[in-house]
Amino acid sequence: MRKSRTILICALILFCAFLCCGCSVTSQQSPGSGPYKVYLIVKSTDTEFWLSAIAGANAAKAEYNIDLVIVGPETEEEYEQQNEFIEQAIRDDADAIVFSAISYTGNADTIDKAADAGIKIIVIDSDVDSSNVNVRIGTDNLQAGRMTGNAVMNADLEDFVVGIVNFDKESRNGQEREMGLREVLESDSRVSGIYTINVSTDAEAARIGAELLLNEHPEINVLVGLNEPLAVGVGKATRVRELGGKVKVVGFDTNVQCVDMMRDGIVTALIAQNPYAMGYLGVESAWKLLEGETYNSEQWIDTATTIVDKENMFSQESQRMLFSFG
Amino acid sequence: MTNKRNLRMNNVLSLVFIGSAAAVLITAMVLFLRISRQSLIRNAETNGRRTIAQVSDTVNDYLGNIDRSLDILTRTLQDPEVDREEFFDVFLSIQPDTVAVSTYSPQGDLMHCYSLLGEVRDNLDENLSFHKDLMQEYRDGFVSAPHVESLFEGSYPWVITMISPLDVVGEESWIALDIRCSNISEYINGVGIGQRGYCFLIDTNGNIVYHPQQQLIYSDLKGENTELIASLQDGTRVEGSVIYTVQTLTNKRWKVVGVSSVQEVITDNVLELRRVLLFAAVGILIAMVLVSTLLSHVLSRPLSDLAGAMEQFEQNADEFTYTPVRGVQEVTALSESFDHMVLRLQGLMEAVLDEQINLRKTELRALQAQINPHFLYNTLDSISWMCEQGNNEEAVLMVNALARLFRISISRGHELIPIRSELQHAESYLEIQAHRYRNQFTYTFDVDEECLDYYCNKITLQPIIENAIYHGINGLVDDGEIYVSVRSEGEDVVFIVSDNGSGMTQEQIDAVMSKERSDQAGIGVKNVDDRLKIYFGNAYGITIDSFPDEGTTVYIRMPKVVEESAYEKK
Repeated sequence: MRKSRTILICALILFCAFLCCGCSVTSQQSPGSGPYKVYLIVKSTDTEFWLSAIAGANAAKAEYNIDLVIVGPETEEEYEQQNEFIEQAIRDDADAIVFSAISYTGNADTIDKAADAGIKIIVIDSDVDSSNVNVRIGTDNLQAGRMTGNAVMNADLEDFVVGIVNFDKESRNGQEREMGLREVLESDSRVSGIYTINVSTDAEAARIGAELLLNEHPEINVLVGLNEPLAVGVGKATRVRELGGKVKVVGFDTNVQCVDMMRDGIVTALIAQNPYAMGYLGVESAWKLLEGETYNSEQWIDTATTIVDKENMFSQESQRMLFSFG
Repeated sequence: MTNKRNLRMNNVLSLVFIGSAAAVLITAMVLFLRISRQSLIRNAETNGRRTIAQVSDTVNDYLGNIDRSLDILTRTLQDPEVDREEFFDVFLSIQPDTVAVSTYSPQGDLMHCYSLLGEVRDNLDENLSFHKDLMQEYRDGFVSAPHVESLFEGSYPWVITMISPLDVVGEESWIALDIRCSNISEYINGVGIGQRGYCFLIDTNGNIVYHPQQQLIYSDLKGENTELIASLQDGTRVEGSVIYTVQTLTNKRWKVVGVSSVQEVITDNVLELRRVLLFAAVGILIAMVLVSTLLSHVLSRPLSDLAGAMEQFEQNADEFTYTPVRGVQEVTALSESFDHMVLRLQGLMEAVLDEQINLRKTELRALQAQINPHFLYNTLDSISWMCEQGNNEEAVLMVNALARLFRISISRGHELIPIRSELQHAESYLEIQAHRYRNQFTYTFDVDEECLDYYCNKITLQPIIENAIYHGINGLVDDGEIYVSVRSEGEDVVFIVSDNGSGMTQEQIDAVMSKERSDQAGIGVKNVDDRLKIYFGNAYGITIDSFPDEGTTVYIRMPKVVEESAYEKK
């Protein structure tokens, strides 16, 4: 009797051991439950800036095996449509949202709602008025504004009258850029006038806005476009008015048309952001957050910003900033 | 077990088994891991080299094709007969890699440009495809680092420029071919070395020509240690946690670099291996425990059972019964031998015991047959004296008593006689002795009538009475009294002989009980006690109570024997 019982116990132990072995093997094969679902909600899906950000996001998607859904509104004013996308992400049981807010305040409530649903919030490029943001990645816009100011002041002029074409006042990053820009301009005695016009984020609207500014203040000799379509629009207005060289144009981002206009001497300087890095880091940090890493959300993760002008536009570094490898 | 401190056999067996198994396992594991680690590194290196060789072949082919294209272009451009527009329409449409073909004057000025991207821009401020200050280097054919195509408006693809001289026919002395970088991707992107390894193209100056994550590198999100890699010779190099495999292409300008991580290729595999081995080891150890348990059942359990049986046998050999143990053949043989030995020993012991008893009985019988010659001589002397005195009546009584004494002593050779006869024997003896000692003592019998028909050993009372007379009464000033009683006590009969004589010390009692009489022939107290014990067992026999100057009481205990034959046979 005793003998058979001992053998039985031993057999049981053996069985358990192999069971454990099997269990741990199977558990190794399926870490978690499928890939994370991440929503990338951008401001636009057709500007070069956002296409580059999306390319970066896709690179991270491939690297970290993420189920990435990319959505964006038709125009860069429709924050309500962005809110709808956030709602969709909540319904879709997303794990994280990589978000660029059109409206600093208008998107806040919906983002809070998403955070309440347990979704991690990663802000890229422009901020939202929420305490639930886990990570903030993008250009230090105040600093970028100051860089713009310095680029303006570097222009070969004695007296400066600056026309600023900015986008929606609701958008946080535009306001910060203008703040930084004005800080530099207002501290310089050579600047005798600063005029701002706010237009929707669209090259044509910007062209019209710039021409309006030029009509109202013909003394303007510097035009600034504070994002990619506005820079293109401001450049076009200058070209249409045949003011190339007489009115200096400083723009944001690296649209090919701006590059062409820079070669033609219309655009003086471009503030090149790194949208590819924003997209990539946004999705990467979403993955890291979901893997348990923590971030200080108050501290922006700054993506590099550089000034490109006619002198350095074909340097190795500028080529890399200006032209995507695609 | 008697030796608790000593290890038991099955423990020793288990320890040896499991210990040696563990030692072998651990040694094997360590060796195996070390060897497999080395072979994994070698494998990774071989795999890397093989992959890189394949990539090199395809890229070489690709570059060979471009060289041939360049040849064709060179020959075509040198032939004034050819309709260039028509030729380039076809050429560019079948060579989508080609972004632009341009020709330059001996001074390095752009002459013609053929491209599907359109016309060269009006304001050509910068031409990254052709640098006048590098013309010296262009003479033997040249491949540029990746750069942006800057000839056109609104389109800036990344290209590599290949330049080769033209035999001067007209104005043109250089041909430059711009090739889209991204088209190399199909040779590079899909290439994996291990799970996360990859490869990329680099030129001898350390410029990355094509990388699967080129844009990440351009955005400063990733980096390659290009300086180090450019300095590496062809072959495999482990730098920190990275394995680099480098192969230079046939054009001597580019290198294919394979990158794989030691972590992934080796550590992960070794960890996985270690895990599997650990489980195997646990399995084997458990199996070892099983086997050793089994062995202990087959080997040591029967042996320890056998040892236990031997110990029991040692402690109580008479009543031991052996049940054979089962086990392997040797153990069974041992067990059978032990079984035989036990039976044999028990038989021998019984035989020895019987022999001893018989010997003793024979000896005792021989003693009984003897009559104390002093007693006989004294008695006969008394009778003779009586006859001389004419005291015939008394003489007759003495002779009768003596005759009765002898008759009962002999009892036709029977050992057991009825108590009645034994009492007659005692009385005859007392009669004779009372006369000889001139009535120095009196005696009384107190007999339970019920006991008279039971049997007892003959000459049981006489030696006790003799002892009472010689040691108790003899030399006593007052009249001695001897009291003989027989009574029944349950299943036993008890004889009591008491006197009021001088009594005995404990030493004297011990002496009487332990040795044969040496002073005279005849039967001693010990002889009586021995006989009772031999016949009826140790529960029976003689006990003596005595105090000096107070007298002695002797108790003789024996069972009620109804039939003589029941004990006589023994």
